[in-house]
Amino acid sequence: MLWKLALTGIKSRLRDYLVLLSGLAMASAIFYMFEALALNKSFVTSNSPVSMAFLVFQFGSVLLAIITFIYLLYANNFLLSMRQRDYGLFMVLGAKGRKLGQLIFIETLVIGSVATVLGLLIGLGLTELTGHLLLSRMHLTVHHFTPFYGPAMISTLIFFGVLFLLAAIVNQVQLRRTPVLTLLHRDTQPTHLQRQPRGQFFQSLLGLILLAIGYWSMIKIDVLKMSSIGIALVTIVVGTFLLFRALFTWCLQCLKRREHFAYHGLNNFVLAQLQFRLHDLNRMLTLVTLLFALALGALTVGMGFQSQLHNIADVSPYDVVLHDPTAAQQKKAAQLDIKRQWQVDYKVVKGTVYFNRAQFTQPLLAIHQSTTTSQKAYREIKPSELTLAKQQQWQQTLNDWLRPNDYGHPVRVVDAGAYQALQGPHYRVVAIQTKNFYQALPQIKQLVITDNQENHFPSSVGLVLSKYQSYELMNSLVSGLEFMGFFLGIAFLAMLASCLMFKILAGAANDRRRYQMLGKIGTRSKLLRRSVNREIGVLFALPAVLGVVHVLFGLQLFEVSGLLTHPYRDLLVPFSIFGILYLGYYGLTVKLYQHLVLPKFK
Amino acid sequence: MTAVMTVKQVRKVYGGKNEPQFEALHNINFDVEAGEFVGIMGASGSGKTTLLNILSTLDQPTAGEVVINGQNLAALKGDALADFRAREIGFIFQDFNLLENLTAYDNIALPLSLQNVAAKKIKPAVAKIAATLGIDQILTHYPTEISGGQKQRVAAARALVQEPSILMGDEPTGALDSKSAKDLLETMTQLNEQQHVSILLVTHDPFSASYCQRILFIKDGRIGTELKRGQQTKQEFYQQILQVLGRTEQGGD
Ligand SMILES: Nc1ncnc2c1ncn2[C@@H]1O[C@H](COP(=O)(O)OP(=O)(O)OP(=O)(O)O)[C@@H](O)[C@H]1O
Ligand SMILES: [Mg+2]
Repeated sequence: MLWKLALTGIKSRLRDYLVLLSGLAMASAIFYMFEALALNKSFVTSNSPVSMAFLVFQFGSVLLAIITFIYLLYANNFLLSMRQRDYGLFMVLGAKGRKLGQLIFIETLVIGSVATVLGLLIGLGLTELTGHLLLSRMHLTVHHFTPFYGPAMISTLIFFGVLFLLAAIVNQVQLRRTPVLTLLHRDTQPTHLQRQPRGQFFQSLLGLILLAIGYWSMIKIDVLKMSSIGIALVTIVVGTFLLFRALFTWCLQCLKRREHFAYHGLNNFVLAQLQFRLHDLNRMLTLVTLLFALALGALTVGMGFQSQLHNIADVSPYDVVLHDPTAAQQKKAAQLDIKRQWQVDYKVVKGTVYFNRAQFTQPLLAIHQSTTTSQKAYREIKPSELTLAKQQQWQQTLNDWLRPNDYGHPVRVVDAGAYQALQGPHYRVVAIQTKNFYQALPQIKQLVITDNQENHFPSSVGLVLSKYQSYELMNSLVSGLEFMGFFLGIAFLAMLASCLMFKILAGAANDRRRYQMLGKIGTRSKLLRRSVNREIGVLFALPAVLGVVHVLFGLQLFEVSGLLTHPYRDLLVPFSIFGILYLGYYGLTVKLYQHLVLPKFK
Repeated sequence: MTAVMTVKQVRKVYGGKNEPQFEALHNINFDVEAGEFVGIMGASGSGKTTLLNILSTLDQPTAGEVVINGQNLAALKGDALADFRAREIGFIFQDFNLLENLTAYDNIALPLSLQNVAAKKIKPAVAKIAATLGIDQILTHYPTEISGGQKQRVAAARALVQEPSILMGDEPTGALDSKSAKDLLETMTQLNEQQHVSILLVTHDPFSASYCQRILFIKDGRIGTELKRGQQTKQEFYQQILQVLGRTEQGGD
């Protein structure tokens, strides 16, 4: 009998259950995909630069686990709030508390397993899609990449299994602890403000201190190493929560006390609305803040890497250096859009490289050391400067011209006579600076490959990189990172959206009654709309502001550790992308909410 | 005496173009004089709520016109309509319709802050109406912390704090026990007699109706009998109402 009642309860709220189920399934799908990509040995070990991306993915999956955990807490809370009223009614009708405890336990587990299995299926599809996308972005070819990856499957199952088991136990205990009347009137219980200003003050203070510690530990990543991230995660999560819990309550109280503000239009009502679900909001706002910060951070860092790609990859002023070029190579090289070209010979005698001074007719180029702009500047070295006294300045640039095997040897520039007298193998070098390296990339690629085939020895492969090779390497790494950034950003935003959706669905029925009533007593519809905008606006703005602060401090991780040279320079683009997306979500939420709650009088 | 409300030839047809049409109100005509206490009685489904929704500007008639305090309702739109509703009409609902996230005080103050009355003036206005309705002791309480009768008094206070032209109630005693209902009705009578508040009360309960000075009986969307209390006592009037009800029920069968 109880089973039947429980089932009809589910049927009547099918839409809410679908939202819950799809949210949970998406969480497990994303989790699986991440694990499958992060743990997949076959593609992690196949190419060396990817190992960096692998580390990034590992870090991402830890973040994702934490976020998923918090997300599940929130979703579970939503489930419990859906059921509490029904179960209270069952209890009034004479159902035993123990029986109901079992019921909610089983219900949670069933929903959890359905969502997990569904999520795994979706996850397989997602992995297939993103896996290939990722590989092609990083110019990698991996043989037999399949979306199915056992260890990832197992870790997903274990992770979600444990979490849902915990949730089921929590729900059972919660349900049995709550008095029947509270269950029945769950939605209409006003949550009064705590009237302990001292406790609130200490909580605010503790929250601020924890945040300060978290920010400090991120700045000190060079000292604290990996533990910095651990410390920051814990302190920032707890600090954010306390700040919202205490500070938010305090602000509401202050505003309520200011009569000029409170008794003006619907202000008092909006304050009461925000106050009414204070406990829910604390947790939700914490969650949203963290998701917001992570998503924005991931996006910023990903784009930061991309924008610095040209700078990082620019290791030499010379776009192509050919050694003993064949006729075919020379013909190809001539087709490049050449800005400057050098042609010289060198001899190698007893581990020393000798150049002929007579062949230096035009200036050489060297990378400006103190450059701070995104495009590196080159400095000219006149032939007259090729003296022993100034050799520090030109050793490197001439080294760029050597065959990989000769790289790193001391370089001398001698007069024509002395050069002729030297006995040893000699090589011809053609160095080219094109007008635009990135446009000429395809032709340069071919030249570099043929040159490598002739002049590289297995022992030197990967030790010395031409400009083109270093660009390719950085590109694969940066693409991986940027991909991660976008990916995490979108995953987090999606979770954010469904969290807010839960909030809307969980509260709309009550809010609807209130707004209808306000309409009946003669509130202008513009005012009603504005009050909806404000209520939701606060929900969106508070986490956004705090999230931006988190990100600004979080970028220290990348600045201090040297992963990004200028993390703060290109904030505009990622911040605007995120702002637009976020505003879009705000607009959508407001529209949905207005549609649900606002009265329609003819 | 001047009429605070005039209802002329009001019709209401439910159902759109391609839906089945249903005429809920059929040429309704009546006046409410200033300071009058009028009751509207009728069986379930007779059109009482439909009529009251039109009178309180929440709905529009298909034909006919309603004038309240000299203002033709058809001429009002949007903000002007909302403002009119806020200023001229006090409304009490069967299910109280209080905002349970605001205290009794804040509920009563709400219509004033909606009209941007200065915070300084709000306090005395609320205190005055609360004293009249005998709820000054519970102003800091939330709706869940007070009884049904008290809730309805708070709702009445909220409806009256703006000093509207007319107070309307759709079965305001419907959710109350007989003691609370009696208290509320007596308070309304007092308001009517001492403060000269015009009241329009919709009910199907003869006891509630017996507090009125005049009763309009509505049946199948038409106003039939009209009953005046005149010099009768409440008990006599109550008996008379029962008789009318008995007759109309027989006539209806
Ligand atoms: N929105 C609507 N659409 C179609 N018909 C309606 C609508 N609202 C009410 N009606 C019909 O109009 C008639 C009058 O309804 P109304 O709610 O006014 O009755 P009532 O006198 O208030 O009844 P009660 O005493 O039960 O509250 C009923 O037959 C009802 O079915
Ligand atoms: Mg009705």
